[in-house]
Amino acid sequence: MTRILLRDKLDNCVARWRKAGLTVIGPVKKETFSSYAAVENAAELDLSMIMPDRSIKGLFFPQTEPMLHYTIKKQALDIKDFTPPPEKRIIFGARPCDASGMAIDDPLFGWDYKDNFWFQRRNETVIVTIACTKADDFCMCTSLKLAPDSTKGSDVMLRPLQNNRGWLVEELTDRGRDAFNEIADLLQDGSEPEASIAVVPEKFDLDACVTWLQKTENFESTFWKEISMRCIGCASCTFLCPTCHCFDFQDEGDTYSGIRRKNWDSCSFALFTMHTSGHNPRATQSARWRQRIMHKFNYFPGKFNVNSCSGCGRCSRQCPVDMGITETLQAISTLQP
Amino acid sequence: MTENIQTAQQNIYKPAIMKIVARHDEAPGVRTMKLEFQNPAEHELFKQNYRTGMFGLYGVYGEGESTFCVASPETRNEYIEFTFRQSGRVTTALANSDIGDLITFRGPYGNRFPIEKFYGKNLIFVSGGIALPPTRSVIWSCLDQREKFGKITIVYGARTVADLVYKHELEEWERRDDIDLVLTVDPGGESPDWKHRVGFVPTVLEQAAPSPDNCIAVICGPPIMIKFTLISLKKLGFDEPNVYTTLENRMKCGVGKCGRCNVGSIYVCKEGPVFTAAEVSRMPQGDL
Repeated sequence: MTRILLRDKLDNCVARWRKAGLTVIGPVKKETFSSYAAVENAAELDLSMIMPDRSIKGLFFPQTEPMLHYTIKKQALDIKDFTPPPEKRIIFGARPCDASGMAIDDPLFGWDYKDNFWFQRRNETVIVTIACTKADDFCMCTSLKLAPDSTKGSDVMLRPLQNNRGWLVEELTDRGRDAFNEIADLLQDGSEPEASIAVVPEKFDLDACVTWLQKTENFESTFWKEISMRCIGCASCTFLCPTCHCFDFQDEGDTYSGIRRKNWDSCSFALFTMHTSGHNPRATQSARWRQRIMHKFNYFPGKFNVNSCSGCGRCSRQCPVDMGITETLQAISTLQP
Repeated sequence: MTENIQTAQQNIYKPAIMKIVARHDEAPGVRTMKLEFQNPAEHELFKQNYRTGMFGLYGVYGEGESTFCVASPETRNEYIEFTFRQSGRVTTALANSDIGDLITFRGPYGNRFPIEKFYGKNLIFVSGGIALPPTRSVIWSCLDQREKFGKITIVYGARTVADLVYKHELEEWERRDDIDLVLTVDPGGESPDWKHRVGFVPTVLEQAAPSPDNCIAVICGPPIMIKFTLISLKKLGFDEPNVYTTLENRMKCGVGKCGRCNVGSIYVCKEGPVFTAAEVSRMPQGDL
């Protein structure tokens, strides 16, 4: 039996989840940007935007987080683990591209050595995704073989009903089922006509691009210089990207005590790969942009069998010089393989 | 490849505490430190997992971590030795650390030199400058079971006589009659009493002309030396699969997540740092 969540019940849902000890998180408009943030009631949620400016990555892999605490006394060095404080969370109204992005990064954080900072948060968080009824010119999930209603990475998929009445509930995981059983009496059985899902036209031929990227000689193609000429290396695209996962460690403190932090880093920065000797394997901005594209569509799928891109389009949408993955892959599509 | 040895809730970025038990100045700005584990369980894990060629991240709290090879051989795993040049924040803090001080170590990470495949073969080690430490780990791992290998030749050069590292060990190797040691310094780098060769490593290697028959070459040095040494080895008739080298790249995590050490699709920290020349030549050269 299909269950329906009516929009006017949403405030009750939020209250119930919060009462059950869950932190409720959803798309929120702030003064200068929008993001996924904790809310106290449904009125704070903005479910009308195409997607928040910032992805949900930061909820699992924060921009900065402490990993260790050290104290040094005479001839004694004490290292204490930081573990993220346990926090059961539910993200209501994630976009399918954001949810997919988290599933894409699972194998990276889990291969061989398991990064428990990531997995603790993944295990404690229920992702409730709402299928998209709106898209803009930057959306490109369909080009990545995903869709505005992809269920990848989601615990629950909500399919919008017509006239903004609510959502059809599709529970995908035990975690999702548990969260919705918590509010079972607020749901109703039955079915209603669904709103139509957004149409996202395909923007490039991914297979053709991947074939081109995999050709050894194209690594040295002049294409990379031309396409990245105006990149200013600001790293906005990597920070906004749901799947970009590069990080740096920095110590904060003094000789006696302090913390070691894991911070977002970016392949757009020259310092990212600079050797002590001064030699830099990726010394130019074009080499760095090539790395980003190659990593997402050639190296990463080579290791984990999935592209490191879920097609949210934030890289193009918010690039200060109007570049992005879409433009680059469109250009590659037109090249001879 | 190191096995996944962590427990379920372990913080993989938490290092082991090490005590500096000895230090030795090798060359201007270059120092070797000998470290001992403080926690027996961590030491046991190291002993189980360490094989020659692997690397680690050495850290000073408040400053950060830096990546260096383990310079001591797998045959001597009671301690860790590593050699570094003072050049940045972490290495300056390391240089300021004294015997008895506590620093940190994360590792061993990466793959290894498959020395059991070298059994019964002649070995030639070619190394330049501060790249002797990784080579030295393999050299001692082989010398400690000398009977398993054929002829051993070591070609080592540095810019100047002062820049040669492990001078005390070079003397020891020179005295041994089961090692053929060829030392050289770059033209202009010789001292008045220098009695060895003068010339660049690849040239000296060609003059030494080791036979490629049943021979494995292990080379390590700055990129420019590697490039020309590979050409020289080719001239001498060495096949690429019989030539091993170890790559270095900037690293932060050491476990394939932080995203910076890759050369093309190859993660140096996971699939390396040890590669054959055949593997290196298949990498995109513009990413090295």
